[in-house]
Amino acid sequence: MILTPKILARLVAIVLLGVVLQLSFFSRVALFHVSPDLLPVLVVCLGLLGGTMTGAVSGFAVGFLLDCLLIEPLGGASLVLLATGYLAGLFRERFEIHSPLVPPLLCMGLTVFAELGFGAVELMIGIDTSVSGLVVRDLLLKGVYAFLLGWPIYLGLRRVLRPALIDEQAVRRTRRPTVLGA
Amino acid sequence: MYRKQVRRRRAVLALLIVGSFVLLTITYGSGSNGLQRGVSTIFSPIQSVADGALKPARDMVNWFDQTFDARGRNSRLEDELQVARKAAVGADAALAENAQLRKLLGLDSSGAIPSGYEPVTARVIARSPTVWFSDVTIDAGSGDGVEVEDPVVNGDGLVGKVSAVTGGSAQVTLIADHSSAVSAKVVPLASQGLIRPNVGDPADLILDFIDSAKHIHKGQAVVTAGWRSGEIGSDFPPNIPIGEVTRASIVEQEASQQVHVRPYADLRDLDLVQVLTGGSRG
Repeated sequence: MILTPKILARLVAIVLLGVVLQLSFFSRVALFHVSPDLLPVLVVCLGLLGGTMTGAVSGFAVGFLLDCLLIEPLGGASLVLLATGYLAGLFRERFEIHSPLVPPLLCMGLTVFAELGFGAVELMIGIDTSVSGLVVRDLLLKGVYAFLLGWPIYLGLRRVLRPALIDEQAVRRTRRPTVLGA
Repeated sequence: MYRKQVRRRRAVLALLIVGSFVLLTITYGSGSNGLQRGVSTIFSPIQSVADGALKPARDMVNWFDQTFDARGRNSRLEDELQVARKAAVGADAALAENAQLRKLLGLDSSGAIPSGYEPVTARVIARSPTVWFSDVTIDAGSGDGVEVEDPVVNGDGLVGKVSAVTGGSAQVTLIADHSSAVSAKVVPLASQGLIRPNVGDPADLILDFIDSAKHIHKGQAVVTAGWRSGEIGSDFPPNIPIGEVTRASIVEQEASQQVHVRPYADLRDLDLVQVLTGGSRG
């Protein structure tokens, strides 16, 4: 990703908007008693578009802001979401995205990974109560919602960040010029 | 050049990971810090505006969820209605007696708010997105008199307690959060225990450590115990409704000393709540 002040401002705006939308809307709607989690999807899409560093840094920033606004111990969400963003970026750097199904599938898989990560952080801090089997249902449904949210968010972010994307630049350079009247 | 870039990337990644662990170590268990208070102060008005603006869209999505849910509830409610009609006759007499007793004790006539507490009404402006945490952020903070450990209720019953406060907002840890524990009693049996969550299922709480000699039955109400012993006491005042017993097998009561309780408050869908500020607890 080619970082310019303008692109950086767009990234900051995306992170802020994503966190506010999650807390004020997505966390407070429920379908089949489960709320969609936009934030891992956002971080995965940023990782897929920008690579490991963009994924990790945006994951850290999203997690940090989330913990600040929820008045939770800082660092837990950052750790999980930076790992999520890094993995998405690693996928982008190692493999080509040939199919339009790849971003939503990755969003689904890495959202489940992130939710398990949040559970692991809880376990690390110390969870001493019983855990309902419904957690599995919630995780799977969150994965399904992430799959559905993945493609539109990926397309939207690609559009917003287009000037900064290296792939898009390469496509533009290799595109043949249109010859008028030929 | 490439190696330098790789090394720089690794350094940034290591810095972020170490930073996360350091932040977690420093801030865990310390409540809100200056940074969080600052960020929260800036974002609270934005969240309030977003909360108001997105309410119609939220209501629409939630309407679908509630419609699916209502189909299943309908038949159960009809059964419950029959039982409730029978109970209502007895309840009328009990209410009259209760009103007299309240008058004698000088308690608040409505009974909704325990005496000595000043209720502060607040709106939920944010909610934790993961399945592991059950906490919400409300738009009332220390500026409104809210303090850490203040009990939080809504029209249906106990919701949780304040776990961190900033100037204009507060974090409420719900009774379904893994860190929550509320001393409670079953009425009219007065068998006491500890309400613990069943993480991942906010509609199912566990009343733990009960006296297995006193058998509890399905449908009995559970309220806060509000005990006090010298200087220490429960954070919650007594007799705030928590929920009703949904599963109470004799085997489970004798083997695990626990029964299952469904909270009266819908912890998944909270909008307006009341923080009970001030007052002597217990």
